[in-house]
Amino acid sequence: SGLERPQVVSHAQQALSYTLFDCKWVPRSARLLCLGSAPRGTGLLQLYELRGGRLALLREIEKAKPIKCGTFGATSLQQRYLATGDFGGNLHIWNLEAPEIPVYSVKGHKEIINSIDGVGGLGIGEGAPEIVTGSRDGTVKVWDPRQKDTPVANMEPVQGESKRDCWTVAFGNAYNQEERVVCAGYDNGDIKLFDLKTMSLRWETNIKNGVCSVEFDRKDVNMNKLVATSLEGKFHVFDMRTQHPTKGFASVSEKAQKSTIWQVRHLPQNRDIFMTSGGAGSLHLWKYEYPTQRSKKDSEGAEMGVAGSVSLLQNVTLSTQPISSLDWSPDKKGLCVCGAFDQTVRVLIVTKLNKV
Amino acid sequence: MPVWLREYSWRQTGSAVYLSLPLRGLRVTPANIFCTDQYLKVSIPPFLFEAILYAPIDDTNSTAKIGNGIIFFTLYKKEVAMWESLTLANANKEKLQSLRENAVLKAHEKAKEETEAKKVTKQEHKKYALEATMKLEEAERKRIEDLKEKERQKVTKELELWRKQQKDAEKQKRIQKEGELHEKVEQLKENKKEKINKTSIPDEGTSKTRLKATKGHGSYGMFSENLKEEQLPAPRSAATIKINFTSRVFPTALRESRIAEEEEWLRKQAEARRTISADLSELEDLKEDEKNPDWLKDKGNKMFATGNYLAAVNAYNLAVRLNNKLPLLYLNRAACHLKLRNLHKAIEDSSKALELLTPLVPDNENARVKAYVRRGTAFCQLELYTEGLQDYEAALKIDPKNRTIEKDAEKIRHLIQGTTQDS
Repeated sequence: SGLERPQVVSHAQQALSYTLFDCKWVPRSARLLCLGSAPRGTGLLQLYELRGGRLALLREIEKAKPIKCGTFGATSLQQRYLATGDFGGNLHIWNLEAPEIPVYSVKGHKEIINSIDGVGGLGIGEGAPEIVTGSRDGTVKVWDPRQKDTPVANMEPVQGESKRDCWTVAFGNAYNQEERVVCAGYDNGDIKLFDLKTMSLRWETNIKNGVCSVEFDRKDVNMNKLVATSLEGKFHVFDMRTQHPTKGFASVSEKAQKSTIWQVRHLPQNRDIFMTSGGAGSLHLWKYEYPTQRSKKDSEGAEMGVAGSVSLLQNVTLSTQPISSLDWSPDKKGLCVCGAFDQTVRVLIVTKLNKV
Repeated sequence: MPVWLREYSWRQTGSAVYLSLPLRGLRVTPANIFCTDQYLKVSIPPFLFEAILYAPIDDTNSTAKIGNGIIFFTLYKKEVAMWESLTLANANKEKLQSLRENAVLKAHEKAKEETEAKKVTKQEHKKYALEATMKLEEAERKRIEDLKEKERQKVTKELELWRKQQKDAEKQKRIQKEGELHEKVEQLKENKKEKINKTSIPDEGTSKTRLKATKGHGSYGMFSENLKEEQLPAPRSAATIKINFTSRVFPTALRESRIAEEEEWLRKQAEARRTISADLSELEDLKEDEKNPDWLKDKGNKMFATGNYLAAVNAYNLAVRLNNKLPLLYLNRAACHLKLRNLHKAIEDSSKALELLTPLVPDNENARVKAYVRRGTAFCQLELYTEGLQDYEAALKIDPKNRTIEKDAEKIRHLIQGTTQDS
């Protein structure tokens, strides 16, 4: 008999000569993008293609400022424009076929853009294409590529409030043309959920440790689950279907390892499986199981959610340095790319996901 | 003097000697029997039997059977021959002695050799066991590795297949695009003025690429003034949401907090509140309230506010006697002394307060500023302006935005410069 559990098989890897901050699959292809910072302080975009067991470099593009994050979330499948956030607080959208001049460009923030997400593109979800950026200046801004210079939504601290770094942002609940939420995680452990339809703060909580990464299990459905990872090895899974008036959303939390959990990414083909990457160079594959009843009534009759349980399917240590970025391929189940601070990008295949 | 046992009987064959030694009523154990290749001794104090054998025997294989008040020796001869007698005939004392010693030595050596041999075999056994386990583990590991390799290869093949599919699909798409572009250009030429709302076929995210035509969805550039905008909602109207961040007792996030120091400060405060000084004998006739340092502090504060400084000092004194670890008592008493112009006492109390206000955390900043300012004022009133200036500057370091402190510090500086010019 073979091995029963899903295995993480290393398929290809490439040593890079620059610091890698983000890596993303180009949709509908076997190509991937690496975004980072060259030693001389400029930004670097590299396009690789998976050939045999190797990565072949197709293009290398250099830009003025180091690039921290990128997303394809807001473009159509034909165009496949990349939106990037860089160290200078600039948001750019690039056409990779003609990358000399950005298609859209704005100095969105005063400080580095830590995280970016896009929705409304790639045939996923409904509504206008929008991009959200979270920055060290404590603000979260939502942009529409059709509107120049000003964001369509701006979540900023009250006047006089000392700002906290926003470390991560994610879109969710985009199941029709009007509905959309943005979830943002901050360095003091705050998680805030903004409703863009009503332009208000819908929920907030604090998980004590800085929030490194948040992600909804699907952007384009009625909010189902939200995973938030933090420093000191903890992550929380919130059940977003039932919001209690005072207690908010039910959650289950797990302490996977001693080091920071840098990223969480849900498998595009199965929303109950997600992978977390850690500060000790490890990857953990988790499966969420729903409880028998997802909601129950509390003593006053208000509905409150019931959180399920999380089980570890597999874990593997690939590097001694933190794995800071992770992306599943939307086209091939189990194919994923991860980038670590040891300047290596690795392509992995997770097997047996059908049998989970 | 041992009692010699001389009654024994023996008989022999070509290769062995059979000796039986009666020991009526004596308990014999193997320890009492000592035998080397030419010397046999049975010693059960005070009885002794000794024999220097005629010829050497093979003492490892020879046996002694103990039972029924008799020892039966079976001694195998080294050389097959018939012995004339059991023992050597002419044996004088010295020869006997030397023979005995030799025998003992030989026995020792033999014992040593045996232990050595035992050790060696033990080692070998251990090594063998270890190697065997290692082999087993290797095998196990290899089996897992092989399984993993197989998975890898299978998966790699699948991936290659998928990739080829992608490539082909891409090529198809490109050809198709060019065809479409052609068509579109022609169409536009025809329908320049009409705005035709063509419905687009939504592209679903499946892993197989679609070769269906996507007419009307030809977006060649985000800003092309085409029909796309009517299918998507307009950009939403700009709005701002104001947010607050969670506050904490100490305004630093968990990762930034100097937790150790802050914990220490909190602990010190808690302890301070709990200490009650020992000499309660005089205080027994006080009311319950008057034994509570906090209550006394409040009283003191009230009296200070009304201007009754002596009473305030009394209250603080009593409070200090009850609990001498609360920095605020000293701080407030210093203020009273200032008002009463007991400047030295004011300086003493401010210093004591500053001592108690360690470790330096943001929580006790206010208290420290006040302590420095009060001490500074006292120094200045005593005309010790340099010391006063030092304290004011310390206060300013903690709270740089305080205008009054700044102004006062300036004044003192002028005074100092004024006096130095005079003298």
